[in-house]
Amino acid sequence: MALALPAAVFTALLFLLPVTILLSEAFTINGEWSLQGYVDFATTPLNQTVFLRTLKLGALVAFTSAIIGYACAFCIVNLEGKSRGRIFGLVVLPLMISPVARTYAWIVILGRTGIVNDTIVSLGLSDTPIRILFTETAVFIGLLQLFLPLMIISLVSSMENLPRDVISAARVLGANWFQVFTKVILPLTKDGLVMGGTLVFTGSLTAYITPAILGGSRVLMLETLLYQRVNVANDFVSAGVIATILIVMCFAANLLLKRIAKARS
Amino acid sequence: MKNTLAVAAACSLIAGVASAQDETLTISVYAFGVDAMSEAIFTPFEEVCGCEVVIETGNSVERMAKIEVNAADPLIDVAVMSTQDALQLAEQGLLQPLDVSRISSYDDLYPSAQDPIGNHHALGYGFYATSIVYRSDLVEIDSWNDLFSDELRGRVALPNITGTQGPLTLYMLERARGGDDLGFEATIDAIGAHGDDFVTFYSRSSELAQLMMQEEVIAAPAGRFAWSRFVGAELPFAWAEPEEGQAGGMNVITMTAGNGNEDLAYQFIDYWLSTEVQTRVAEAGLDSPANMRVDLAPEVAEPLTYGADLINSLNMIAPADIIANRDAWLERWNENVLN
Repeated sequence: MALALPAAVFTALLFLLPVTILLSEAFTINGEWSLQGYVDFATTPLNQTVFLRTLKLGALVAFTSAIIGYACAFCIVNLEGKSRGRIFGLVVLPLMISPVARTYAWIVILGRTGIVNDTIVSLGLSDTPIRILFTETAVFIGLLQLFLPLMIISLVSSMENLPRDVISAARVLGANWFQVFTKVILPLTKDGLVMGGTLVFTGSLTAYITPAILGGSRVLMLETLLYQRVNVANDFVSAGVIATILIVMCFAANLLLKRIAKARS
Repeated sequence: MKNTLAVAAACSLIAGVASAQDETLTISVYAFGVDAMSEAIFTPFEEVCGCEVVIETGNSVERMAKIEVNAADPLIDVAVMSTQDALQLAEQGLLQPLDVSRISSYDDLYPSAQDPIGNHHALGYGFYATSIVYRSDLVEIDSWNDLFSDELRGRVALPNITGTQGPLTLYMLERARGGDDLGFEATIDAIGAHGDDFVTFYSRSSELAQLMMQEEVIAAPAGRFAWSRFVGAELPFAWAEPEEGQAGGMNVITMTAGNGNEDLAYQFIDYWLSTEVQTRVAEAGLDSPANMRVDLAPEVAEPLTYGADLINSLNMIAPADIIANRDAWLERWNENVLN
């Protein structure tokens, strides 16, 4: 206990105290305690839209990354030796590149003259380039690419502990692949899914660069709205409210995923 | 004891001499082009005054907040900003009226720059026009209404209402639509109704330049100060002269109240507004001069907002009108355009 004291003091001074001061702004109006900031936030239509959009995109990115993540993780753990290391290295590689650079690359790829629109037009799917930038689709793609590696890493580490025999046993006993996944793989890797889901969901909720660049002011998310409230309106009450909502959403997501995992087992 | 006193006396003497030489002037400026501004204004001024110029930068909200929270003991002596920001600070008693008799080039300023927010709380140091940058090989822009045309559908970016260009764009669109309501209600609603036709609502001119170079956007309202980003580009860009005219704005120089550094501040303001410095700043392409005596070659003047005819023709929104209406603009914009 005594050994943990320096770490506890360090965390309290440099994390908990500043966060408490920041969050207390959301409960204070003209120096007096008030919940008016929350009432104002909740009753503004734009804020409702932004809140629901953030929740929707976060959930969609987490869900999609889980589907792709399972497929990738299953392939990776079944590779042998060097190829496994190389493919895993490729998964980790994007994490070593700045999110700003990665997001700007999407501007080029998703633009009117980018590779996606070139392909769409050349395949005859559309006569003219379609607009992808500054839409929810662009933000979704950017966030998915940003956080998918975290889901894959979580699931790979979880699947590495999965005895291969159990899959063979399930197949021998007549289970199809869907049943193998839902009855065997999913329950035995739920810890990795909870960890990955929490990382991806909270990462999507709190990402700033990607929604700011790929969504702009047309596709506001809670983080970009928070930035606007501070840097454009100098409104620290709204900013504190948004920060509190984000923190609550992150903890709630983690608890919910744990609860779902526990219920399944 | 004698030695101690002698050392103390010597130290105080040295400190006294040093403080005379180490006078500092703290100025708050836009974060854009600070190095070039230092080369053209701040460093040469240090040689003139024998003092040190300390530069504070940041966005408008940060810079205004810094002046506000340090009102009792100002950190900033001189600040440059938009007319509406200056008026807001002046109304809060954070700026001091300028004694224009101490500004030798005061009479050389354009009349609109001599007292832009009233009570001599500010002096204009630079103008900018706002019009439409467009791809001359793809479209022709003759009116602000062209931004709503079928030809441009899905290829136009508008400035966000939270920046200085946003309200100016709404002002011109309102006029082009035949209205004169400073609430811009019909215009904001029309933008909302055509919401999907606009690529984005940009916040920075650098962001717009990138979108236009990438051919995502082919027409957008922009401040003339951003025009240098398009000059010399591979793609053919043009600056529109719409039939309704161009909008415009002015940046002003102000002095904080009770800063205790007034003499140096007046010297600096006088220096910045002088014909010599205004010419140097214009020739460096940093700002369009507010001093009427600045004489520029046509190729230097081309990218700037230069000349009495142009400056007098600019459609400007009075700063008091901006302050009175901006909350309503933002609320309607958020409801009908972004929501």
